[in-house]
Amino acid sequence: MNETSMIPRKEEPSARFGLRLASWYAVVFVATSLAIVLLTYRLLAASLEERDQQLVISTLREYSQRYADGGLRSLADAVEIEQRSGRQERLFVRVVRGSSESLFLSAPYAWNDFDVSRLRGLDGLEQLLSQSGTARLEVASARFPDGTLLQVGKSSENREALLARFRTVLSIVALVIVAVGLAGGAIVTRSTVQPIRRLITAVRDIIRTGKIDARVPVRPERDAIDELSGLFNEMLDRITTLIRGMEHALDNVAHDLRTPMTRLRGIAERALQSDDEQTHREALVTSLEESERILAMLDTLMDISEAETGTMRLDVSEVSIAEIVREVVELYEDIAEDKHIQVSTDVEPGLTVPADSKRLRQVLANLVDNAIKYTSSGGRVALSAHREGPFVRLDVADTGVGIAPHDLPHIWDRLYRGDQSRAERGLGLGLSLVRAIVVAHGGTVDVAAEPGRGSTFSVRLPADRQNTSITRV
Amino acid sequence: MVEDDATIADFVSKGLSESGFAVDVATDGEKGVELAVKGSYDAAIVDVMLPRLDGLALIDRIRARGIHTPVLILSARRTVDDRVKGLQAGGDDYLTKPFAFAELLARLQALIRRSTGQTEPTRLSLGDLSLDLLSRRAERAATPIDLRPREYALLEYLLRNQGRVLTKTMILSHVWGYNFDPGTNVVDVLVSRLREKIDRDFEPKLLHTVRGVGYVLKAG
Repeated sequence: MNETSMIPRKEEPSARFGLRLASWYAVVFVATSLAIVLLTYRLLAASLEERDQQLVISTLREYSQRYADGGLRSLADAVEIEQRSGRQERLFVRVVRGSSESLFLSAPYAWNDFDVSRLRGLDGLEQLLSQSGTARLEVASARFPDGTLLQVGKSSENREALLARFRTVLSIVALVIVAVGLAGGAIVTRSTVQPIRRLITAVRDIIRTGKIDARVPVRPERDAIDELSGLFNEMLDRITTLIRGMEHALDNVAHDLRTPMTRLRGIAERALQSDDEQTHREALVTSLEESERILAMLDTLMDISEAETGTMRLDVSEVSIAEIVREVVELYEDIAEDKHIQVSTDVEPGLTVPADSKRLRQVLANLVDNAIKYTSSGGRVALSAHREGPFVRLDVADTGVGIAPHDLPHIWDRLYRGDQSRAERGLGLGLSLVRAIVVAHGGTVDVAAEPGRGSTFSVRLPADRQNTSITRV
Repeated sequence: MVEDDATIADFVSKGLSESGFAVDVATDGEKGVELAVKGSYDAAIVDVMLPRLDGLALIDRIRARGIHTPVLILSARRTVDDRVKGLQAGGDDYLTKPFAFAELLARLQALIRRSTGQTEPTRLSLGDLSLDLLSRRAERAATPIDLRPREYALLEYLLRNQGRVLTKTMILSHVWGYNFDPGTNVVDVLVSRLREKIDRDFEPKLLHTVRGVGYVLKAG
């Protein structure tokens, strides 16, 4: 496997994806924020400018009135009072006669920068750029019938200074926004891409090493990515179960077949060493029986493995319990009669379960077979079925030999034969198959047994299809 | 018979010859089609897994040519797929490997009987044992025998296949309709009950055990 070339190439897409996500986030966030900052600035500048113009116009109106009422003297007084009061920034006030003769001029000394001679004295607002170009003079003019012109103006200098400070503040804000945007982008990327990257790493590890027990870490956040990780883990679990089951099954089949195959071989070898025709015939018959056993064992082992790994094909329909019980009891009627065992049934009428009828019959037949096998003459076997909560409970009880406590934990194991069981014919697979089929139907099977008193096997199957989690792969 | 495994082909064709059949063997699907087209056969035995042309395709091929010879399909698969089940519904039959020769023979004869439409007898008999299928009465040496339903079903099955060995699996599926081996000795129990009724007080014994294979009903 070419690890070195495979990993970097495969890492690229997710890194690129992360970068793209981060830049998109940053771009959108920064652009929106800057647009808001810019708009704020514009609005502020506009309203400041309007306020200044309002001031200029209202002052002009006031001074015009003074000038009209009291002439130049009254205007000069008013200007002086206003300036002394210090209520506001000093304004530019000028009275001009004719084209250039200044009758009155009051201006802050810093105003030398303005070439006021360039003012044309138009009605309304007029703007004059300072010679250095850093500020503007906004002037409003009023013409009197005697030909004089009253001009009131205000420099934009203060406003500009305020706006300049504001710009500085906004630039800092903008810088912070950009920084936050980029950092946010990075965080979003990390939190989004990291789990994906972890998922990719986990999958790649599994593919590379073939070890299917690796799992993707799931954070407690439970977002979509975690859900995906969770589902992915669940899928891995299923696959693991399946593969383990199959490995297990193969091992078992190989192991379990070796013994009968060895017997078969031994029979043939012994027969070859003899010249007696009767011995040959005997060997052939035993071989046939042995091959039947191997076939039955193979079929049962396959059934168990399929049921355990969830690959068993279950032909599920509503199965009548009474019907199944009747069929199985009928099958064992003769044997029970021969052994003088009394078989009784007690089935709640109308009871059904969603199940594969053939498999369910196999379960019941195995349990009844065991019950009769381990019950001595004169004993009793009782089959009963009742609804128990969301389950249908099927009991097969006998008055037989029971099960020794040390055997109890092992009776479900493949090929386990308890001391009692060794004396009887059988494959040692019956109960394993019973449990595998019941579990595949989403049910459980338990046993209660007392040596010398008997055993009761209880099968619980989900009564409704909704409750059935019949394993499917 | 179309079968690529020489040992199986050999033991089946020898067995069938001994039972009075004439058998031709083809070792792959194409040769099988050739045989079916050239000759006229009462039945065909076709393995599913065949070189060059698989068994199911072979059946399609010969059916397309208007050849309606009944086919017994042999499959090594444990679970028989739906396609094969479909063919069974269409009048053919299948058998999974490994199989007992006795079962193959019985299935083959049933197929031929069905396709040639032989009339059903109303009375079956072997020596002094007879079974009236209409009145459902059995008697041996003119002595009426009282049979329970499953004993009756078994006796009828044995009489229909007299001289032929029937395996436990065949009996189980015929008498109880079970198509799996529940790992029981129910068949032995039923057979010994029937033997008790038809053989215990009479000579010669008719119901014989063939060890390792099954049971057979025959005189001597």
